[in-house]
Amino acid sequence: MATETLIWLIPLPPVLAFFLIVLFANKNKALSHTLGVGAAGLSWLASMVVFVRALSVEHLGEHPFHASVNWLPTGETWFKIGVLIDPLGAATLFFVAWTIFMIFLYSVGYHNFGQPKGDHDRPGLPPHGATVTDAHGHKHTIPSVEPMYSRFFAFLGLFAFGMYTLVVSDNLLTLFVGWEIMGLCSYLLIGFWYGKPSARNAAIKAFMTTRVGDVFMLLGIVFLYSVTGTLSFREIFTNEELMHALGTTATPVLGLSAAGLIGLLLFIGTVGKSAQWPLHVWLPDAMEGPTPVSAMIHAATMVSAGVYAVIRMFPLLSLDPATMSIVAFIGAFTALFAATIAVAQNDIKRVLAYSTISQLGYMIAALGIGAYVAAAFHLITHAFFKALLFLGSGSVIHGMEHGVLHTGNHHVDPQDMFNMGGLRKKMPITFWTFLIGGFALAGFPVVTAGFWSKDEILADAFAHGHLAVFITLAVAAFLTAFYTMRQITLTFLGEPRTEEAKHAQETPWTMTVPLIVLSVFAVTYGWVGIPEHFPLLGGLVPNWFHEFVGSTLAEHPEAVPFSPVPLLTSLGVALGGLLLGWLVYRNVKSPAEDKLQLPVLKNKWYFDEAYDFLFVKPAYWIAETLVYKWMDKGVLDGILHFIAHITGVIGAAIRNYIDLRVINETIGDGTANTVKWMGFNLRPVQTGRIQQYMLASFVVLIVVGAVLYYFLVMA
Amino acid sequence: MIPLSWYLVLSALLFSIGLFGVLARRNAVAILLGIELMLNAVNINLASFWRYGNPAQMGGQVFAIVVFAVAAAEVAVGLALIISIYRRRKTVLAEEIDLMKW
Amino acid sequence: MDFLNTNLLSLILFSPVAAALIIFFLPKDELKLIRWTALISSLVPFVLSLVLWFRFDPNKTGFQFEEQYIWYKAIGSSLHLGVDGLSLTMVLLTTLLTPLAILASFTISEKVKAYMMLFLFLETGMLGVFLALDLLIFFVFWEIGLVPMYFLINQWGSANRNYASLKFMIYTMGGSLGLLLATQMLGVAFGTYDLTRLFDLWPSAQALTNIPPWLTISTIKTIAFWAFVIAFAVKVPLWPFHTWLPDAHTEAPTAGSMILAGVLLKLGAYGFLRLVLPLYPEQAKYFAGALAFLATAAIVFGAFGSYGQTDFKRLVAYSSVNHMGFVVLGIAAAAAASGTTDAHIALNGAILQMFNHGLSAAGMFFLVGVIYERTHTRNLNDFGGLFPLVPVYGGILIFTSMASLGLPGLNGFVSEFLVVRGAWPILTTYTAISMLGLLFTGAYILKGIKQVLHGPLNEHWAHGEHKLTEINTREIIVMAPLMALILVIGVWPAWILDVINRAVVALF
Repeated sequence: MATETLIWLIPLPPVLAFFLIVLFANKNKALSHTLGVGAAGLSWLASMVVFVRALSVEHLGEHPFHASVNWLPTGETWFKIGVLIDPLGAATLFFVAWTIFMIFLYSVGYHNFGQPKGDHDRPGLPPHGATVTDAHGHKHTIPSVEPMYSRFFAFLGLFAFGMYTLVVSDNLLTLFVGWEIMGLCSYLLIGFWYGKPSARNAAIKAFMTTRVGDVFMLLGIVFLYSVTGTLSFREIFTNEELMHALGTTATPVLGLSAAGLIGLLLFIGTVGKSAQWPLHVWLPDAMEGPTPVSAMIHAATMVSAGVYAVIRMFPLLSLDPATMSIVAFIGAFTALFAATIAVAQNDIKRVLAYSTISQLGYMIAALGIGAYVAAAFHLITHAFFKALLFLGSGSVIHGMEHGVLHTGNHHVDPQDMFNMGGLRKKMPITFWTFLIGGFALAGFPVVTAGFWSKDEILADAFAHGHLAVFITLAVAAFLTAFYTMRQITLTFLGEPRTEEAKHAQETPWTMTVPLIVLSVFAVTYGWVGIPEHFPLLGGLVPNWFHEFVGSTLAEHPEAVPFSPVPLLTSLGVALGGLLLGWLVYRNVKSPAEDKLQLPVLKNKWYFDEAYDFLFVKPAYWIAETLVYKWMDKGVLDGILHFIAHITGVIGAAIRNYIDLRVINETIGDGTANTVKWMGFNLRPVQTGRIQQYMLASFVVLIVVGAVLYYFLVMA
Repeated sequence: MIPLSWYLVLSALLFSIGLFGVLARRNAVAILLGIELMLNAVNINLASFWRYGNPAQMGGQVFAIVVFAVAAAEVAVGLALIISIYRRRKTVLAEEIDLMKW
Repeated sequence: MDFLNTNLLSLILFSPVAAALIIFFLPKDELKLIRWTALISSLVPFVLSLVLWFRFDPNKTGFQFEEQYIWYKAIGSSLHLGVDGLSLTMVLLTTLLTPLAILASFTISEKVKAYMMLFLFLETGMLGVFLALDLLIFFVFWEIGLVPMYFLINQWGSANRNYASLKFMIYTMGGSLGLLLATQMLGVAFGTYDLTRLFDLWPSAQALTNIPPWLTISTIKTIAFWAFVIAFAVKVPLWPFHTWLPDAHTEAPTAGSMILAGVLLKLGAYGFLRLVLPLYPEQAKYFAGALAFLATAAIVFGAFGSYGQTDFKRLVAYSSVNHMGFVVLGIAAAAAASGTTDAHIALNGAILQMFNHGLSAAGMFFLVGVIYERTHTRNLNDFGGLFPLVPVYGGILIFTSMASLGLPGLNGFVSEFLVVRGAWPILTTYTAISMLGLLFTGAYILKGIKQVLHGPLNEHWAHGEHKLTEINTREIIVMAPLMALILVIGVWPAWILDVINRAVVALF
């Protein structure tokens, strides 16, 4: 099959699965997950074929796989949409296909397929467990299957469709289509257990916060389309004249060039989607969704999509240094800011959520300082190890839930790390894979992928003289290592702190296999991007990633020269953070003993409260009171009712003073009355005596005759 | 030959007497008589204008005869009415016959 | 076949009236018979307009299937009908929605005969506006459409129907008084009401014989322009003429709201496109900023108004203000820069938005009606967590809501994108402000879903006599064509947009 045809087909299986499950298979759990996992597998297979073929093409950067069709008629011309796989697309496709496939597989186990139906489970709430009687007549409570099992796979399929669409798009519009479809799916999946008010609100928060970014992004797309007449990446980026014009045209906003303003608008979309400060607030709340969802949103797809979009638009952004500075600032600030919050969280998933925000800030900061390849590299390694960590944390929670069902004490929060401890013995596979993921996140030197990508960013920042960014990121890296080790220590090391943790259980193979697969990538993927000048290791394997992804750009970025400062820094912060984390938390037994539970960090620097006060409440007020009650009901309807009232008053006045008085009384009744009065007064004349009448007529005759005689004869 | 004006004067006198009778008498029968006098005054006029006008034409005589006929019919109906009223109301005075007056 | 070709438009236009006459002779107690007769006979114009759609040649410019009959010779008015790509899509929308609305009103059991007859009359009224090529005929049909709608709201509406129907009737009639005057002025000035001729005569007219000498021709044109604009702005409705709409929508019966939102609002926008832009190109260009301001206000305040509601139907009603604002924004952009590609894109978007809003708003109103029929309340606070009880309904509601929200992949996005794209270079500031409306579109849609489907289950609806029943087959059949079109246009809009685009390029 032609590669282009294959690329067209990549997104289709998941969306077909979505429709099939929704329309036909929603009663049959086995069929639903067969369709879902099968579709993910097909897309994975197609992606791998495309990836392998892409590797074998020389100069893929100049001659990518590309095909397009007419989509929208716009006046005399057509707007085209199509597919594009260039080196960046191929590399992204690789990690997306792997993580999505693993997440699908993991979901089967996570939602307890094969377990009995719950005793009191109802759709919209997490399963509460089922009671079974074993051969000896003992009653056990075991996990029960998710009541909306089919629906989950349908949503997941749609989500995968969105991500694949985004990756294979050759233009911003279909990228935006995939982007928004993922937005919908994240809404549906975060609100998957919609019966919980918290999940419902988190879903809306996620959708609305990202939508703030999206409308700006839409403006950016529209702006770009207006000035260039196209949205195709290649048509814009390969047109040097156009790029030059974009970079030099001034706009009235902030003194940015057209390219800078468009880039900034598009970047705001990313700020929303990739949960950068100040639109980061939705992401921690998104933890209300089931764990595979968190992995989907946080690792493989949605938040990566934001960074991916900025990497895609990098040639445009890099035209304006002001925009780049903004990007770098937001990225670096977010990296540090989110890391500080992560230190004080006790929910195992929330720690990961803030670490995700922080790591995305890393990538954004890398882009802001022009480290294109490093950002892409960190995007991919992060996707692997963060998916691993989320799925690992899901596995931990699942194991803990097992313990909770065993003891029957539902007041124990299976996500609170202080309820855990010592899980390494109960859940060895989860422990070792989580350890790998955690070390990759912390940047444990040499063996983990996270080390290489993070080191490259730091090296880039240092080499290009962005010292502020360098220091910020280094501090953030230290905090990352610290809270990662805190998490590992609290969860897996030491002794169990609760009964539930003692009865935790390793999870089934559908959950552990994805963990193992992802942990392999979390280690090995770093080796494809080892800088050539690195001491000892440099040159052992070629720096394939830099060559390959770098060739996406028209001007291949230079590899940065080696310098010992960033290397020592990253070694120091990673190892120091890990060690400190272990030293501080190995003996901590309860949140009260944790010195870092500062209220300001615990409450996430009070951003939720501030936004609620600044935006949410005023929006309600504007909508309900100002617009509806005052403007529409009050002023506009008031004017209408006033006009109606005035019309009524005028009508009444006309009736009372003109119709009744003048017309009726004077003209109508007046005429009649006059006639009546006259008749009454003339009545005596009418004697009825013919003789009198005749006498009268005789007199008249005489008089008339006399008069006539006088005038006719005498005169 | 007696001039025409004598006849006319006679006729006028007769008519006036009749008119006076109609206007002034209270008795319905007398009023009826007055009307007869006025009709006959007209007849005299008719006959004399015929004789002094164009005797070859018979118009005046014919008119006079028509007037006789009408007068006879009138008297017949009028007297019948008066007798009928008299039988009911025992009066022939015109002002007392006021049943339809308001 | 030749007969069909030459008389196709009058067949489409008058077959609903013929159907209404047939229903008139049916016994009034045979409800089933009346309903099915109405439904089947309303499919006749739909089938005919499908024939029209496939026989229509998008490559030709100008009007097709023209018909002209003498109507009022003395004043130069004739029954002149014709379609182009612009009216064709609207005719298709009307004839598609009417059978669905009739099917949706099968639950009406009072005065069914009168109801169905009024509905069919309404269809003729609306079709007449879209098909007329004569200004006076246009006005006649414009007003004819009001009467059945008035009675539909007044007789079959809910509690506050007298107020709502009166407000609707008076407001729209009052709005169109100026239109009537301006129409008469044109007719007197040129001795003809034929639009094809007026398009040539009126914009280029330099002097008029019958106007008072103290008024210049441009003053006259400006006054007439605003007379037209206000008539159409009330109908669209544009801010601040929109307050009749939430009342009328809320009180109207379900099918009435479907048609009101689906088609009647389009009459106003169609008036802008068919009459205002071609007849007043200069004035439209001059006042484009004012139009854009009103449109932006409609978008933003419509969204806020919708967000501020606790009545589900009123929420959807305000969403119409919000969505129709985009149509007028596109029109304003086209007025400001007619002939440019940006204008063409904006108009493509505006016309597609009309069609799309017809689908999604009709669907939304129907879905509100479905739940209202079962619960007898529209108060959002009375619902909550209904999703487990009515999963199919919930799915359909989310789907339709997302279409209304403008989710990419569904129809609303395509048109909104095109409008924003077209308006951006022409009316940059207004377009940027309108994004606030787009943001709050999300907010109110999610509010609706949140209050109805999500959250803890309101146990009132779960058991006993109040137990909420799932959407039934008839109701799914009403929604199915709408949903299919929503998806098809979202994924592959070219089939309809190509027709629109050719008409737009030829016209503007």
